[in-house]
Amino acid sequence: MVAVNETSRPVRYDVRGLAEPDAEAPKTARIDGDSAVIDAADLSPRLINLELRRLVYGEDIRNVTITNPGAKHSVAVGLLARCRITIDGSLGYFACTLGDGPEIHVTGRVGWSLGENMMSGVVVVDKNAGSLTGAALRGGDLVIRGHVGARTGIDQKGGTILVGGNTGSMTGFMMQRGRQIICGDAGPGLGDSMYDGSIYVAGKVASLGVDCVEEEMGPEDHELLDRKFRIYRMDKPDTFRKFVCGKQLYNYDTLEPSERKLVL
Amino acid sequence: MSDFDLSARHLTTRQGIDTEELTGQTFPYQFDPSLVDDIDLEAATPGEDINWLEDIHLMEEDGIPAVFDRYTNAFLKIHFPVPEGREDEYARKVLVKHLQEGNSYGIWLKHKHAKFPQPELGSWLENSPTVGDNWKPPRLEGWEPPSGH
Repeated sequence: MVAVNETSRPVRYDVRGLAEPDAEAPKTARIDGDSAVIDAADLSPRLINLELRRLVYGEDIRNVTITNPGAKHSVAVGLLARCRITIDGSLGYFACTLGDGPEIHVTGRVGWSLGENMMSGVVVVDKNAGSLTGAALRGGDLVIRGHVGARTGIDQKGGTILVGGNTGSMTGFMMQRGRQIICGDAGPGLGDSMYDGSIYVAGKVASLGVDCVEEEMGPEDHELLDRKFRIYRMDKPDTFRKFVCGKQLYNYDTLEPSERKLVL
Repeated sequence: MSDFDLSARHLTTRQGIDTEELTGQTFPYQFDPSLVDDIDLEAATPGEDINWLEDIHLMEEDGIPAVFDRYTNAFLKIHFPVPEGREDEYARKVLVKHLQEGNSYGIWLKHKHAKFPQPELGSWLENSPTVGDNWKPPRLEGWEPPSGH
């Protein structure tokens, strides 16, 4: 399978859909002890990721900084080891996804689907993130100090998403587990069709989604909030409201699902 | 969980997906809490928190306390009496011990099915061997790619 990229350089794909299957790590990183710096200016996402894996898996380097990331897509994905990655700039979509162990700090902004399917680890973004942040998140902490887009934590199955600013519409859509902490306002349809998990909102909620209800905060909720804000050194708003699943959609009944939505 | 009788514990003969049935064995830390007491959960997980273990709780399978191993999609039963109030702590310690010793059945499968080079024991153990660097796409005998591909 052959495609052509924006520079008219043919890009091959293997049976897995993997781009540039024959590519090798460029070995251009500057290594200093147990740290390394990758200049990503002239590297494709595939080459950046190969170089990252070479350093972390092959050279046992645990601190890597990527400079000039150029908002490229799918960078720092699939890292399955404990390491610290600093992205000095902004990233495009599907940044820092499928991780199991890395602690990643992005000093700029990111596109959609940040941290999608992350199993464990920590991702901290200093500015804003796009829609679908933390989609299908399985575990770990995802911290966005700025605002995030729509459908944050869609299908979230675990982990914690901490947002310093506002979230867009349908936040927590089909959420199944885990926690979301939103310091600002939440858009319409908060927690629509959520199945489990908790959403804490400090600001205004435009509207609740289907089967999302408010619940009283307990001591364990305050403990969680205090701990997360302390760890990430963020200012904690004075009050939070907690939203959970109303459990009215757990089972089908004689009403058609669409009619039931209207009733609810 | 008060009457702990080890002799009463045995592998079930029914088809199931418990860790014990998948691996065909039990592990000492399922029976002896002293083997997991020194596990440092924060040190074993990324960041300054227990990270993904926050979602791990003591559950129950076949009437026996168990922890869910998401890397295998199977329960790992805990046969020792868990002190009251420390249920989640012991569930997490047993699971981390299980992963650090490389006994998770899903991890065993990496040797055959991992498609990309990766550390066998993921983020739980330093310097674990690399698996997945010799993966070859399976080929159906007699199959030829259609022309044009």
